Amino acid sequence: MNAKAIKNVQGLKKEGLVSLFPDKIKIIVGSASCGLAAGAGPVFEAIKTGVKEKRIKARVTRTGCIGLCHQEPLVDVIIPDKPRLTYGKVTPQAVKKILDALKKGKVPQGAFARIDTEEFLLEGTSRTYGTDSEDPQIAQIPGFDVLSFYQKQSRIALRNCGFIDPGNILEYMAKGGYTALAELLQSKSPQQVVSEIERSGLRGRGGAGFLTGRKWKMCRAAHADKKYLICNADEGDPGAYMDRSILEGDPHTVIEGMLIAGYAIGAAQGYIYVRDEYPLAIERLQKALKQARTHGLLGDDILKSGFSFDIIINRGAGAFVCGEETALIKSIEGDWGEPRQRPPYPAQRGLWGKPTVINNVETLATVPAVMHNGAKWFSALGTQHSKGTKVFSLVGKVNRIGLVEVPMGTSLRDIIYDIGGGIPDGRAFKAVQTGGPSGGCIPAELIDLPVDYEALSRAGSIMGSGGLIVMDDKTCMVDVAKYFLDFLENESCGKCTPCRVGVKRMRELLDAICSGSGIIEDLALLEKMALNIKDSALCGLGKTAPNPVLSTLKYFKDEYLAHILLKKCPAGVCKNLITYAIDPAVCTGCGACLKACPADAIKGEKKKAHKVLTKKCIKCGACQEVCPVGAVVT
Amino acid sequence: MVALKIDGIATSVPDGTTILTVAKKLGIWIPTLCHHDVLTPYGGCRLCVVEVTLDGATQIVSACTYAAADGIEVQTCTERIIGIRKFIVEMLLAEAPQAEVLQDLARDLGVTPPERFQPRNELCIACGQCIRACREIVEVSAIDFAHRGYERVAASPFFQRSEDCIACGTCVDICPTGAITKRDIPAGEKAVVADGINITGPARIIDNWKVGLALKQCEKCGEHFAPQFQLDHFSKRASLPDDFFNVCRQCRT
Repeated sequence: MNAKAIKNVQGLKKEGLVSLFPDKIKIIVGSASCGLAAGAGPVFEAIKTGVKEKRIKARVTRTGCIGLCHQEPLVDVIIPDKPRLTYGKVTPQAVKKILDALKKGKVPQGAFARIDTEEFLLEGTSRTYGTDSEDPQIAQIPGFDVLSFYQKQSRIALRNCGFIDPGNILEYMAKGGYTALAELLQSKSPQQVVSEIERSGLRGRGGAGFLTGRKWKMCRAAHADKKYLICNADEGDPGAYMDRSILEGDPHTVIEGMLIAGYAIGAAQGYIYVRDEYPLAIERLQKALKQARTHGLLGDDILKSGFSFDIIINRGAGAFVCGEETALIKSIEGDWGEPRQRPPYPAQRGLWGKPTVINNVETLATVPAVMHNGAKWFSALGTQHSKGTKVFSLVGKVNRIGLVEVPMGTSLRDIIYDIGGGIPDGRAFKAVQTGGPSGGCIPAELIDLPVDYEALSRAGSIMGSGGLIVMDDKTCMVDVAKYFLDFLENESCGKCTPCRVGVKRMRELLDAICSGSGIIEDLALLEKMALNIKDSALCGLGKTAPNPVLSTLKYFKDEYLAHILLKKCPAGVCKNLITYAIDPAVCTGCGACLKACPADAIKGEKKKAHKVLTKKCIKCGACQEVCPVGAVVT
Repeated sequence: MVALKIDGIATSVPDGTTILTVAKKLGIWIPTLCHHDVLTPYGGCRLCVVEVTLDGATQIVSACTYAAADGIEVQTCTERIIGIRKFIVEMLLAEAPQAEVLQDLARDLGVTPPERFQPRNELCIACGQCIRACREIVEVSAIDFAHRGYERVAASPFFQRSEDCIACGTCVDICPTGAITKRDIPAGEKAVVADGINITGPARIIDNWKVGLALKQCEKCGEHFAPQFQLDHFSKRASLPDDFFNVCRQCRT
């Protein structure tokens, strides 16, 4: 690699800094899928047109998900010399007010947070937006660092999400991007790169948590004329969107991670296997790949180092099982997306029969940071066997739904209460499902469990890819187990008997239990089936499919028993097992339920206790929802 | 060569030999359903699972797909393995209670049909032998799996009349449960092959693939001995002379 190439990288970095911190007003719109779904599209357009019409000297850009999905659409305003201000739930109407204020040279009202300094994780520096904290209006806005949503977070994979324009490679470089690559191409052998990753203790973020360095080492050691690297972006767990957010918010970090991995294992060709349901991620990836090629960071003779590597995007058709590495390989090869037995592992015999490393998006997004800041820095974070940080998508019955990244070992309590803000409507926390459909439900009594691979596994769940679905006391755990089994039954490829037939038959038993025809022997039968499926299924999907049943049986057996023996659903979810009634002692006869009932199943005179006609009742629960005094009981 | 132990017996076999093959050679019985010696190993039915221990770590794998490796210890008959096999036969019995092969296995393993599940009464157990035979032996690939998960079933493309099927019947012969049927109809007899597709005998019909093919008559004995389409396929594949199949096998001296 020659000095000119290095100098070029430095020059591009400077250009990126100008783009990140222009000497005029900058308005940034959160435009990941979460933002767009909440209406960021029209907001962005309104800002664009407004700025033009009002002749405001401002740069308007997009950025990825900063994590505050519950506040989307988010708009950030940076006025020179002032802190960056964040506005939540912005509508096109609100845009007008923001722009009016800016036009008058004022700070727009209504910001819910402010950022004083922006971290440059890879540079080890930070940059202060503005020093003008004298302004009393700004001083009263809470800083990001004191927001409980951010206090316990530590963002490595997400370091750039929400800060850079994902469509601008220069901004990525300004934040230290591609520096790790340039450095190692110049001064490190592939073997040294593998050792560094091995020493860091980085484990695969896609599910099983295999040591990334060991995987690379295995592939590096395999003899073959060609090797491949695959980025697994076939994120399919319900409620999980970590990988999508990284791809949409910072595609270059994944590309850089792939380049480093490709260099380390000796591959010249990489694939990104991304599900077609992620059109925005694909679009941004395509653009990023193009930019990387233009700047000589991808393709032949990268940065004049002699190392060549290119990346192809392979779009998946949406089968959950294609996230399993052997099925994914088959799918790229144009065959049915079906798993095969390992060994041989892909690192020995993978794509087109050649040694192949498959890493998840988040793993690859972390790699540049590990290489840049060193194994020691990374392994200082986390627990004994689980190093670094993990990204979670925090969803379900939690106040602050969002994308969070915390050091391994952070307790569930910290994530759900401090970061997530607890359970809405003052309800009680009941359980959290980790690891997606193949994971397990962790009960409230284990809320202080530190989240790492080992602790989750001991509790009967898995880390999985990082979906956290929070459930409150209105959730029926048998119904939850049934939901996940139903999902897995639909997503089973059908190749092996235990998964194809076993999971379906388990789901039938859960159906019976939820509809009141369960018998006590079903519990032993479910457990026996679950253990056999776990032992004998062909791939990870099948092997982990019984987890939701096993974990709910372990922690919530009383609910199963209530369904079977008492024919009652304690959480009031399973329709066949509940009857709605109105407590005449509590009912004030306001008539709200009568109006809300879509089935004409409530009668009663005004100011007198009402009654539910059980035969007509369709158990929709509308009466219970509207009753102001809580007189509707199940 | 690799050296391994199977049920305590030390043996060494050539690289790449599967555990199932090793067991067969030593006379160790491992039940199978989706396996056939002439087809690519599939590993789908999971009946042939065994415990493989290497460096203290035990894995449950299918014997038909696992290549023997140096130093492994294989257990084919532990309580855990027997439990899995019983479970698999139970599950399949609920699918195809009439299948003789399953009834035999159930008897051998001491399994009774599970009472808690509604029988499906569908003979196809998705073992895929027919598909692999058609692809690998006949080299026609007329059929493949359709749907996924529980709905997975061997089928002709889009469940329509297969245009490639030569009605050779290899699928019929190889099917372990008798889920595929083949029949010949005599001259003059009419049959419905698929919606709107009728055929008049002499013809061979494979109902599963909605195929009915006219039979060729032997120029010597007059017997209708094989579908013309099939004979064309084999002539082409083996570069036989044009008149090779003018007579049947019996009449060819």
